[in-house]
Amino acid sequence: MARQAQNMIKYIIKRILMMIPILIIVLIITFVLSKFMNVFPLITQVAFGEDIEQIQRIIAEEKRRMGYDKPIYVQLIIYLQNFFTGNWGDSYVIMYKTPVIEVIGLVFPKTIELMIVPIVIIPLIAVKLGIVSSTNKDKLKDTSIRFLAVLGAGVPIFFIGNLLQLFFGVSLHKFTYGEIDLPIMFSNTSGLELKGEYFTRFRLIDAILNNDPIFFFDTLLHLIIPVICISFASLAGITRQTRSSMLDVMDQDYIRTARAKGVPEKKVINSHALRNALIPSSNLIITTITGSLLGSIFLEATFQYLGFGYYFVRSVTQGDYLLINGFLVCSCLIIIGGTLATDVIYTIIDPRITYT
Amino acid sequence: MQDYSEKDKIEEYPLKNSNAKIKRLIKFYLMPGWRNPEFSAREYQIEKLKSKRRVFRRLITPLTLVGFFLVLIVVFIAVYAPGLTELTLANVTPPLYPGEPAFQPPSPEHPLGTTQFGWDILGRLIWGTRTTIQAAVFPVVISIGGGVFIGTISAYFGGRVDFIIMRICDIFLSLPMLIIVLVIAPLVGKDLYTTLLIYGILFIPFNIRFMRSLVLQVKQNDYVRAAISSGATKFRVMFKHIFPNAISPIIISFFGAMGVTVIGLAGLAFIGLGDPDVANWGADIMYARGHFETPGAALWPGFFIGITAIGFILIGDGLRDALDPRLHI
Repeated sequence: MARQAQNMIKYIIKRILMMIPILIIVLIITFVLSKFMNVFPLITQVAFGEDIEQIQRIIAEEKRRMGYDKPIYVQLIIYLQNFFTGNWGDSYVIMYKTPVIEVIGLVFPKTIELMIVPIVIIPLIAVKLGIVSSTNKDKLKDTSIRFLAVLGAGVPIFFIGNLLQLFFGVSLHKFTYGEIDLPIMFSNTSGLELKGEYFTRFRLIDAILNNDPIFFFDTLLHLIIPVICISFASLAGITRQTRSSMLDVMDQDYIRTARAKGVPEKKVINSHALRNALIPSSNLIITTITGSLLGSIFLEATFQYLGFGYYFVRSVTQGDYLLINGFLVCSCLIIIGGTLATDVIYTIIDPRITYT
Repeated sequence: MQDYSEKDKIEEYPLKNSNAKIKRLIKFYLMPGWRNPEFSAREYQIEKLKSKRRVFRRLITPLTLVGFFLVLIVVFIAVYAPGLTELTLANVTPPLYPGEPAFQPPSPEHPLGTTQFGWDILGRLIWGTRTTIQAAVFPVVISIGGGVFIGTISAYFGGRVDFIIMRICDIFLSLPMLIIVLVIAPLVGKDLYTTLLIYGILFIPFNIRFMRSLVLQVKQNDYVRAAISSGATKFRVMFKHIFPNAISPIIISFFGAMGVTVIGLAGLAFIGLGDPDVANWGADIMYARGHFETPGAALWPGFFIGITAIGFILIGDGLRDALDPRLHI
């Protein structure tokens, strides 16, 4: 076992070392992309109505200061230097003159709060549903679970969000003459702010630390419907994949041997069959986790939730290229980390897989 | 007189023969256990081994037929769109803004109501099928075509070529797909075909990886070695021997990818980065988002997106149940 742990650590270190060239190539790609965007930030900052010559002089001065007239490879080296020392630039449209790192720090915890349930709880429920659906093949449980899974996989997320908004927000309100009033838009009731300091940027934890129950329950109430929406969509994919790989495994010979030996049925399914079926499912689970960490763009656009995806789309449509760079590099880091986690989990599930 | 009747007989022959062929083909596939009476005993054995009929009978399950008919309905509406509604495409897209008030409930003139700017919902639904079917077909054909070709080459040659192609694939796979499409879309314009082309090209590395793993499994077999040692050229070995045996999971993922692309393009239109010159269902949902007094304006396009994607997913599931060699059913 110690030998395997040693090999594993060597493999992880080798993978992290291989991540760095990929990261640099991703940075170069984002740099090239940002050069293609025909956006020059200074135009929004120069006052109108002044002398044309003065405006041109100011623009030339700023260009020289920012290094725009140097050749391209020097700009690239300055860009890489800036990236690794932590100077990611200032966002100039979304939040005026705030460093990009601070914007990411403000925005990211909101998305994590939204996605805690799909990341932690949904894989457990989905795998369990997949097992139930595959053991009672073609019976009522199986067909109903498959029906819900196909619905969740086929119908897009924003449509389910719209339906839920319509049902819970509008119809329920009308039918009960205003008795049941669930909030459907915006991530907090507008105007409600936290009374106190933001220690971390997680609203729930800060509300507990500052002893502010109104904000806490308000946030929770506004989180219910988006969480239902994203859970439905994530459950579908993982359930279908687990069901199909369990069906592949249940026909193998070793399952028949285990049953013939007298192993109880629960242990046959949960520990012999599931272990072999989990490999493609774990790939899908980690893809879902990284996908939801990157902020489901459609969900946040539907519910006006000010998270990662929402600010990404706004910065793309408004042309804030430093912020786009920052977000893009963040997303790539998360995806590379997810790929590494997938390979490590493969080795934990199936000890026969060794990477030399 | 004799010449005339003989000429007639000889000319009749080809027609009769092909009719009989078609009839026998239909009987073979649909009637269980029917054997062609012209076959000898040896040909019976070969037909049993090939078992084309078994695959076909496994395909026709009720659920797969439901998916097939859903997709068929959408394709039918897309092809015969000008015949199904009097409104032409120019009537339901910009720059024509009819002067009617927006978001009316259903009326005899507009059977499902109107959406923003007074466009008819039913007209936009019917013209939107064309956009959806194009969005389903083009990116998937581009990505799977390119991926299969390059994947076979990369897995067959091995060595340096394989290493370089795999590193390039890794770079592309570490970029989040949807976000890259979002970033590139404002750069190259909002034209529908440009977006579909970019979508297709971005998904090629994923298919390269997939095809490469399948070809590596097939390459171990003996017939490949036999073909190489009897002097077949490299292309012949790759595309006549390896390719047909490795292709069945690709066919399964073909239909699954179609469903994903339909939803992806609708989502892109929902955010606002879609083509405004075409009737797009996602854009309809975006227009009708907050207007809850006519819920039909937002619900009907979404419903149609749902049934198109569900149709493709069901066909993919049915194909996987029929073709997957690991299921010993």
